[in-house]
Amino acid sequence: MAHSLGGLGKRGPGPRVRFDLMPYLFILPAVVIYVVFNLGPVLASFFFSFFKWDLLAPTTEFAGFDHYDFILNDDRFWGALSHNFIFLGLAVVIPVSIGLLLAVFIYEIRRGRVFFRAALFLPAIFSGVVIAYVWKWIYHPFAGVLNPALELVGLGAFTQSWLGDHKIALYSTFIAYTWASFGYSMVIFLAGLQDISTDIFDAARVDGANFRQKLFRITIPCLYDVFTFVITLRIFTAMGVFGVIYILTGGGPFYSSDVIDIYVFRMIGNFEMGWATAAATVNAIIVVCLSTGFIKWREWRSWSS
Amino acid sequence: MEFVGDNMQRRLRGAPFYAVLAAATAITLVPIIWVFASALKSNKEIRENALALPQEWRFQNYIDAWFGASFDQYFFNSIFITVASVAIVLFLSSLAAYSFAKMRFRGNQLFFFVFLIGMAFPLSAKLGPLLSLMYKLNLANSRLGLILVYVAGSLPFAILMLRAFFQGFPQELEDSAALDGCSRFQFYLRILLPLSKPSLMALGIFVFMGTWNEFFQALLLINEDSKRTLPLGLTAFQDEYFTDFALSFAGINITAVPVIIVYIMFQRNLIEGITVGSVK
Repeated sequence: MAHSLGGLGKRGPGPRVRFDLMPYLFILPAVVIYVVFNLGPVLASFFFSFFKWDLLAPTTEFAGFDHYDFILNDDRFWGALSHNFIFLGLAVVIPVSIGLLLAVFIYEIRRGRVFFRAALFLPAIFSGVVIAYVWKWIYHPFAGVLNPALELVGLGAFTQSWLGDHKIALYSTFIAYTWASFGYSMVIFLAGLQDISTDIFDAARVDGANFRQKLFRITIPCLYDVFTFVITLRIFTAMGVFGVIYILTGGGPFYSSDVIDIYVFRMIGNFEMGWATAAATVNAIIVVCLSTGFIKWREWRSWSS
Repeated sequence: MEFVGDNMQRRLRGAPFYAVLAAATAITLVPIIWVFASALKSNKEIRENALALPQEWRFQNYIDAWFGASFDQYFFNSIFITVASVAIVLFLSSLAAYSFAKMRFRGNQLFFFVFLIGMAFPLSAKLGPLLSLMYKLNLANSRLGLILVYVAGSLPFAILMLRAFFQGFPQELEDSAALDGCSRFQFYLRILLPLSKPSLMALGIFVFMGTWNEFFQALLLINEDSKRTLPLGLTAFQDEYFTDFALSFAGINITAVPVIIVYIMFQRNLIEGITVGSVK
C-alpha cells in the first residue's frame, strides 16, 4: 500500500514530492476510534439537538429551537445549572486554597514529605462511587459517624439530616467532593513549587521575609501558570460533577442538589433525547466559554502586566 | 554548637506545619480507616455504637459480600476492561504521538488540533448520541463497547502527553537508526518505546486509575448485571443491601482495595502522570 502510493507520487510531473503514507497510518487507528466514539458523538449531539428523536434514534424531522425552548423554560434546568455554578464558585476557592496551603506546608518541612503527600492525596484515587458511599455512611442518620462525633465534642447543636435537608444537601455533597479533590490541587501545586528556583526563597529568608510575605509575594505569583491550570481543572470537574451527587442524593431532595449532568442523564433515561442533547449542548457551550475565556484572560493578564 | 542551635530552631519553626499536616492527614485517613473497621463489625455493633472499634474481627462480611453478591464477576469485568483499555491506549497513543512529534505531513497540526478539542467538552456533551450509536453497533451492554469508549476518551490526553515527550528526543537518534536500515516502525518499537518507559508507566497508571474508577458512562451503557464493573456493581449492591450495614461496608472496601494497592505500588508514577500536564 505504502509503496504503490509512493510510486504514484513519483510518476507525476514537477519536483519529486513523494507522498508519505506512514504518518497517516500511524495516526489512523487512534483517529478512527477517537472520532467514532468521542468527537463524533459530541458533534452529533450538537447537530441532532435541532432534530426530533424517535426514542433513541435521531430523525430527519427538523425541530428548530423547540428543544432549547423547552429546557430554557424549564425551572429544573436553571436550578441544576445554578447548582453547578454554586459548586464552581466554591470549588475554585475551597479545594484550591486547601491544596495550596498543604502543598506549601509540605514544601516547608524536611522530614515526612513523601508520607504526607501520599496520605493527603489518598482520597483522590477513589472512584466517585466509593467516595460517595464513604460519605453516605458518614452522614447516615443513625449508623453514621458525623452526628455522634459532633455530639461527642459538644457540638450537638450542629447535628442534622445532612442529605435530607433541602437547604444543605448540595453543600453536604460539596464537602465530599472537596475531601476527594483538594489532593489533586495539592500535588500539582507541589510540583509547581519544586520548579521555583530555591535561590528566590533563600534570598527572601536572608531579607527576613515572614511566612505570609513569602506566600503572597513569592509563592503565589510564581505559581501563576499553575493556578491557571488548577482552576481550569476545577471548572471541568465542578461543571461535570455527577457520580458523587448521583449516589449521595440523586439530585434531591426536591431537586435541591440537582446538577446538569444528572439532569441530562435523567432526560436520557426518559428517552427525551431532544431535551437531553439540547441541555448538554448549552452546558458544553458554557464550559468551553468559561474555560477558554478564563485561560485567555489569564494569558492576557500575565502578558499585560 | 551554633549548628545544633540552628537545627533546634528550625525544628521548632516547622512544628506548626507538622500540626496542620497531621490534622489534615487525620481528615483524609480517619474516614477510610473507619470504613475498614466498620466492615469488621456486626450489624448490632454498628447500630449501637457507630464510632467504636470492632470487638472482634469478623471477616465473614467480606466472604458474604464476595460470594453473596456478584463481586467476583464485577472484579473480573473491571480488570479485563481496564487492562485492555490501558494497553490499547498506550499502543495507539504512542503510535500517533510519534507521528505528530517526529513526522512531517500535511494535516499534522490539524489532526493534532482535532484531538485537542476533544478535551474541551464535558462528558455529558456526547452521551445521547453515544448511547444511540452503541445500540446501533450492538455494542451496548458489552465489555468491548465500554473499552472502545474508554480508549476514545483517554486518547487526547495520552497523545498530548506523549507528543510533548517524544519531541524532546534528539533527531540524530532517528537519523542514525535510519542509516542502519531501521524502518520507522522498527525505530518506534525497538528504540522509542523502550526509551519512553517512565513516561509510558506514568501515563498507563493514570489511565488505569481513570478507567477503573469510571462510573457515568458505564452507568449509561451497561445494564446487565454480568457486564457490570466494580463501581457500577457497588451501586447495585448498595441498593440491595443498604439495610445490612456491615455488608455494605465490606462491599465499599472490596471496590477500594485494588486502587489502594496500585496506589501504594505506583504512587510516584501516578502523581507524575497527573502533574506532567500542568507544569509547562
